[in-house]
Amino acid sequence: MSADIRVRSLVKHYQVADREGGLRASLRSVVRRRHRSVRAVDDITFDVQPGEIVGFLGPNGAGKTTALKLLSGLLHPTSGEATVLGFTPWERRREFLSQITLIMGQRQQLYWDLPALDTFLVNKAVFGLEDAAYREAVDLLVGLLELDEILTKPVRQLSLGERMKAELAAGLLHRPRVLFLDEPTIGLDVTMQQRIRDFVTRYNATTGATILLTSHYMADVKALAERVVVIDHGKLLYDGLLTGLIDRYAPHKTITLHLERPVDRADVAAYGEVVSADEVQVSVRTDKAQAAAVTARMLAELPVADLSVEDPPLEYVIDQVFHRRES
Amino acid sequence: MIRSRTLAGFSSLLRAELADLFQYRIEMFLYGLWQVVNPIIYLVIWSTVVGGGDIAGYTRDDFILYYLVFMAVSHLTLAIEVYTMAPSIQSGRLSPHLLRPLHPFWRAGALNIAYKAVNLMFLIPIWVGLALILRPAVDPDWLGIALFVPSMVMAALISFLIGSCFAMFAFWTTRSMSFWDIWMSLTLLLGGQVAPVAVLPGFLQQAAVVLPMRYTVGFPIEVALGRVQGAELVGGLAIQAGWTVAAAAAFVLLWRSGVKRYGAVGA
Repeated sequence: MSADIRVRSLVKHYQVADREGGLRASLRSVVRRRHRSVRAVDDITFDVQPGEIVGFLGPNGAGKTTALKLLSGLLHPTSGEATVLGFTPWERRREFLSQITLIMGQRQQLYWDLPALDTFLVNKAVFGLEDAAYREAVDLLVGLLELDEILTKPVRQLSLGERMKAELAAGLLHRPRVLFLDEPTIGLDVTMQQRIRDFVTRYNATTGATILLTSHYMADVKALAERVVVIDHGKLLYDGLLTGLIDRYAPHKTITLHLERPVDRADVAAYGEVVSADEVQVSVRTDKAQAAAVTARMLAELPVADLSVEDPPLEYVIDQVFHRRES
Repeated sequence: MIRSRTLAGFSSLLRAELADLFQYRIEMFLYGLWQVVNPIIYLVIWSTVVGGGDIAGYTRDDFILYYLVFMAVSHLTLAIEVYTMAPSIQSGRLSPHLLRPLHPFWRAGALNIAYKAVNLMFLIPIWVGLALILRPAVDPDWLGIALFVPSMVMAALISFLIGSCFAMFAFWTTRSMSFWDIWMSLTLLLGGQVAPVAVLPGFLQQAAVVLPMRYTVGFPIEVALGRVQGAELVGGLAIQAGWTVAAAAAFVLLWRSGVKRYGAVGA
């Protein structure tokens, strides 16, 4: 099976004007502009197989969005190659654009003053959808996203969450085979985030679409993607299973004890790094390989009322990835 | 050949842009009003200056007629792309249009036509009112009136394509508006706006005949009023067709190299 998304040594540099603040610098820049090259995407290579959901992780400015813009054909690369469904994205062939979508949390295609249905009709015509296929897609999306009341109100009168749902629907009417989702849940409340996540999972399950998504919310990534690609400063740091990321960068377990009576902190510290401690509740971080043995010892030696063992939170793992790179 | 899907896409965009613009009726009315102010000023000045005689063959009635037609032509050939396309290139709002399987050219065209159509609602009563008040004598030149249609279409195309070219400067600079202002000043002088081209001094007339400005406004008016005849008429239409092709070529070249520089800023 050939990959739906194939990226080889992809590089994108931006030229940005660079000058210090103040009048003097301003005057100098009239005569001579100084430009600086920013390596937004710096030699990345990866593949995504059909039907896969891959989470794209990285801090702000890491190059995630630039990579998605390259792969959806908005940007031309400085060098390197990419194919999506066999097409070179930045040639923006009609056949290519008809099979992909890029949905950005902060950028909208909906007409602001018109009901979302008007944008749907434009997309119907532009993507050349037959009446039956269009109605089927609308019905599916209305059902999955609970859009009933939303589509006939002017977009400007919708809440952020409603608008995001309408935006998703507008981007999916043509049943794309490859979805690029950039921060699809940004600014949404927890319930709405959950709905969008459920929707993406179901869309993937029912259509077999390939999905590459970025998100700041670890919950999104955890719920949706088994595989993650981590980039920072445009470079690829990790590509593999999410569980592998945890093993590699944060091979710990956090053991939380609820004690029957307070104990000396030093007694607890003997078992591992104390993450938090109050009178009767203590959290200790320990090596994953020793977690079972440590737990057994604690149960035998401490007045334990209750105990839980957990993987470190993903936020912590990601922080470790970038922290390690910097140090 | 334009595919039927392209036409269907274009007509749906046109409908959406029309519906969208109807939301801004007051704004459109004010723009419309603003657009007739300049020609009224020129009309008043020239019809006063000419008195009972004529200037370069234009009598008082001729000037009135010229500027009445001018109001229609200048509206129908208006280029708004520097105000619509350029900001969307700079702000990244072009992105959703680039992701549709339809060249953004069609959306710009739909917006251009929708804008003119909505404004016509306000402009037509103003034109009719002015024509009824001023009542210029008309001696219709039927060939000119017939040829006015293709000339008008070419003028609108040249104007749209050149306007789009200036808008596309936004791929390289944030100041495409300044270049456009220079262009508009030249059109004011050489396009038959401050005065019909025939009234200009000799060397400006010669420049106006070869440069594109006259073919975006003044020339269709001259054709409609029978001011150009015979070889001059045929030659003028040929030059106009040439500029249409040249503007289209410039558009394609600028688009191809500009879109590679598109930054798709914003999220």
